[in-house]
Amino acid sequence: MINLIVVLTTAVMFALLLVWWRWPVFRLWIEAPKYSMLRQESRFNDPDTERESATNLSSIDTSISEHPQVSGD
Amino acid sequence: MTVSTQNVRGLEDRANTQGSGALPSIEYDLIRAHVFASLVTLVISALFGILVATKFTFPDFLGGHAWLTWGRLRYNHTQGIFFGWLGNAFLAFFYYVVPRLANRPVLSRALGWFLFVVWNFAVVLPGWVLVAAGFSQPLEWAEFPLVVDAFVVLAFVLMVFEFVLPILKARLSDLYVSGWYIIGGIIFTMLAYPVGNFIPELVPGARGAAFSGLWIHDAVGLFVTPFAVAIAYYVIPATTHRPIFSHFLSMVGFWLLFFIYPLNGTHHYVYSAIPMSAQKGAIVASAYLGMDVILVVTNLLLSLRGNSGTASKDVPLRFVWFGVIAYLVVSLQGSVQALMPVNRFIHFTDWVIGHSHLAMIGFGSFVALGGIAHMWQRIPGTRYNERMTNWSFWFLAVGLTLMVADLTIAGLVEAQVWQSSSPWIDSVRAVESYWLVRTLSGLPILAGFLLFWTSLVTGPKRTLVITSAASRVASADPAEFENVAPVSVRSRSTSWLSYAHVVAFGAGVGFFALSFIVLAIIPGKQLEREIKQAAPVTMASLTASEQRGRIIYGREGCAYCHTQQIRFLEADVRRFGPPTEAWETKYDYPQLWGTRRIGPDLSREFNLRSRDWQLTHLYNPRLVVQDSVMPPYPWLFDGGPNQPTQEGLDVLAYLQSLGRARQLSGFDRQRLASSAEPEALDMAPSTEPLARATPPAVPIAMVGGYSLSAPVLHPEADQDGLQEEVSRGGALFDANCASCHGSAGRGDGKASASLLPKPANLTAAHFSDERLSSVLWNGIAGSAMPPWRQLPTEDLRALIAYIQSLNAPRATPRMQEAAGLGKTLFAAACASCHGATGEGNGPAAGAVAPAPTNFHLKKPTEERAWDVLENGVQGTAMPPWRNQLNADERHALVEFVRSLYDPAQESEGR
Repeated sequence: MINLIVVLTTAVMFALLLVWWRWPVFRLWIEAPKYSMLRQESRFNDPDTERESATNLSSIDTSISEHPQVSGD
Repeated sequence: MTVSTQNVRGLEDRANTQGSGALPSIEYDLIRAHVFASLVTLVISALFGILVATKFTFPDFLGGHAWLTWGRLRYNHTQGIFFGWLGNAFLAFFYYVVPRLANRPVLSRALGWFLFVVWNFAVVLPGWVLVAAGFSQPLEWAEFPLVVDAFVVLAFVLMVFEFVLPILKARLSDLYVSGWYIIGGIIFTMLAYPVGNFIPELVPGARGAAFSGLWIHDAVGLFVTPFAVAIAYYVIPATTHRPIFSHFLSMVGFWLLFFIYPLNGTHHYVYSAIPMSAQKGAIVASAYLGMDVILVVTNLLLSLRGNSGTASKDVPLRFVWFGVIAYLVVSLQGSVQALMPVNRFIHFTDWVIGHSHLAMIGFGSFVALGGIAHMWQRIPGTRYNERMTNWSFWFLAVGLTLMVADLTIAGLVEAQVWQSSSPWIDSVRAVESYWLVRTLSGLPILAGFLLFWTSLVTGPKRTLVITSAASRVASADPAEFENVAPVSVRSRSTSWLSYAHVVAFGAGVGFFALSFIVLAIIPGKQLEREIKQAAPVTMASLTASEQRGRIIYGREGCAYCHTQQIRFLEADVRRFGPPTEAWETKYDYPQLWGTRRIGPDLSREFNLRSRDWQLTHLYNPRLVVQDSVMPPYPWLFDGGPNQPTQEGLDVLAYLQSLGRARQLSGFDRQRLASSAEPEALDMAPSTEPLARATPPAVPIAMVGGYSLSAPVLHPEADQDGLQEEVSRGGALFDANCASCHGSAGRGDGKASASLLPKPANLTAAHFSDERLSSVLWNGIAGSAMPPWRQLPTEDLRALIAYIQSLNAPRATPRMQEAAGLGKTLFAAACASCHGATGEGNGPAAGAVAPAPTNFHLKKPTEERAWDVLENGVQGTAMPPWRNQLNADERHALVEFVRSLYDPAQESEGR
């Protein structure tokens, strides 16, 4: 069982490193959120940005969005 | 390989969608409410902690009130920090950050207020009150009673709706790492909480401990850590205005954390009865966890590269930076202390308490305080006093550093004493000064918390959302990241990446399930088989009284100072007896193995101490153990130690049942009989420590209080040496014996009023070396006199010299024949117990405890002998003889028994 833990964890880590090393697009994709986070932060800190009040249940679309942004060119 | 232009352009679409449109609203009122609740509960919890620490130095402080006893305050201290302080702080942060990360508001304001009420008025407040009133669960990090646990689970379900749902509505591939940690923390804690709180009530003993171990670690690993790391990952870039070093590394760290953390649990029970495969699995996982934390902390610190000025000027960021460093230190410490060579030494000591405080204050609290201060500056209508926050930082940093260093050293000192054969109380004496320093170190910490609170209600009022001056100075041009960044994958070749997070989440749940299978279910099955094979068929469950006593034992927090788990280690076995096996715990719902030893292990209490000693000790431990730091429990008595209430009797019954099944099983006798190594019979230096400290393999009470293995120790023969021994023996007597025998040895110590038979009046007889050696080695069965064989030989010798000096005139060898009348009377009335020759070996001697006096080894004074014949000895089989014998006959008996004393062996021994 110990071997299983070690092998599984090591395999997952090596797989991730391999993908990162062999596929630069993956690097861009995985790094994107750190920029969008900063953009959001700057928007929220801008006092001129319009604010949306949407804190009652009826105003929210409660359906789970499908997995996103995937589209073939 | 290069990135195609087509890909990069395609990726831009994704970024633009998130950065447009109106901003979602933020529930500032809920943030303020949770921040306020967090600070109130933080200060109250810190006060609980300081009271708990103070009681180590002043154990009678507030000791008369059940609601303020050590155990209940200890429960409320940790649960208050966990739920009250950190829970509210994290919730406040969620309200601030989730709309930013998800680009949509939290689900519902009304739901938010409902969650606030549940968290504070159905969990924290009633939890505290119920624990103080005596309704609790004696499980680490699970002390609030089951009724409160139900509301905790409800609260986590509400959190899923309030925070996780809005995040899931956003595109997961856009989700920043802080959002992942929030999702993971909420969902995995919701899954892990019932495992640690409900299952040990259903699965007993060692099997239940396997589950408890999981939650002990998951409470920190799946609740505190993810949310604190989420804050760190948010505050650092938001303050520096630079992206973190690598989002890839942050995600690797995230998944590794959720894969590995749950697998660590059993490292809290190394060397226990839990199967070694599970223990080793947890140790390996602990090593992996250390590597993961190095990865996470490296990424966080690299994210601060070039911003050292910002980190020093911006106080919230400095709080976070300190927390990140503490995270690294405490995690590496955790990995190291899980290793068996280290664990065998420091486990159960104050080292672990230092480790816990470094985790909960140094890491969790510092990051949470940094997060609160960061967002507080960005909430309209708040006041913020940066100077006060700065002072708060330094008070906390100094207090925590002092506390952790002090507890770490104290742990090493305790461990060193425990490895020796010194009496347990020596380890308590050795760290008394460290406990005082620990209490004092709590004061700057409390001051730091109060200053932090003050910093949020003083200073200029903020009317606009702003960024701190320090941040603006240090920040890079925002265009830097606006131009470089947001990209999205829209090519066919990369479309599968959209599902990567789903796959990873599935893997996380898989690892979580794996942890239960590997560390709890499989070991549980193995333990079940072992128990079936090993448990005696006749093993009795607890009586109703013992069961009630067990509940009281749990509610008073006894398991937090006394383990019921003798580990498979030489030091443990030498001190406490045979290691605890799984079958012994088959009726323990929930398990009470404990994770800390301030007092000794109690697994082998059966037949170890007399009832009146136990009751006196419960009423006021310092009556019988002068330097004890155990709390008194006067509410279990009606005014005195010899007037226990039903609850007092129940606790006594439970204590005296501990180890009963093991002793009655006879397993240890069989092992002893089949052992090739006989019990050590002499005090030769090479075998001395082992012989001295080994508890009797056969309970003393069952052999009449005598062991042939007791060595005969002789004080120094020359006068100078003897004087020195007497002097040293006096100090030892004051420290160890005076509470019962009185400072002058007259048997009138503080405990004497409630002990039966009374402690011996050591001035009323002369005791031979052999007699005193035997008593010190074995104790006296049927009395409160315990064995003192843990003391070094030279100390035992000094005690013998001192006790003999209390009765100055040394008896001379028998020079005359006993009066004929006395001899005749002795043969008729006394020989059945005391033996025909007065050696305490009459035919009835084996059936009475304490054993009859051997008059060859003890010469009572005339007054004492007369008093015994007149009045008997209460608490023993010795009756009064004044109605059966006339005065002349009694005088004849006194002369006769005094004439029996024969110290010839002593002379020969010297």
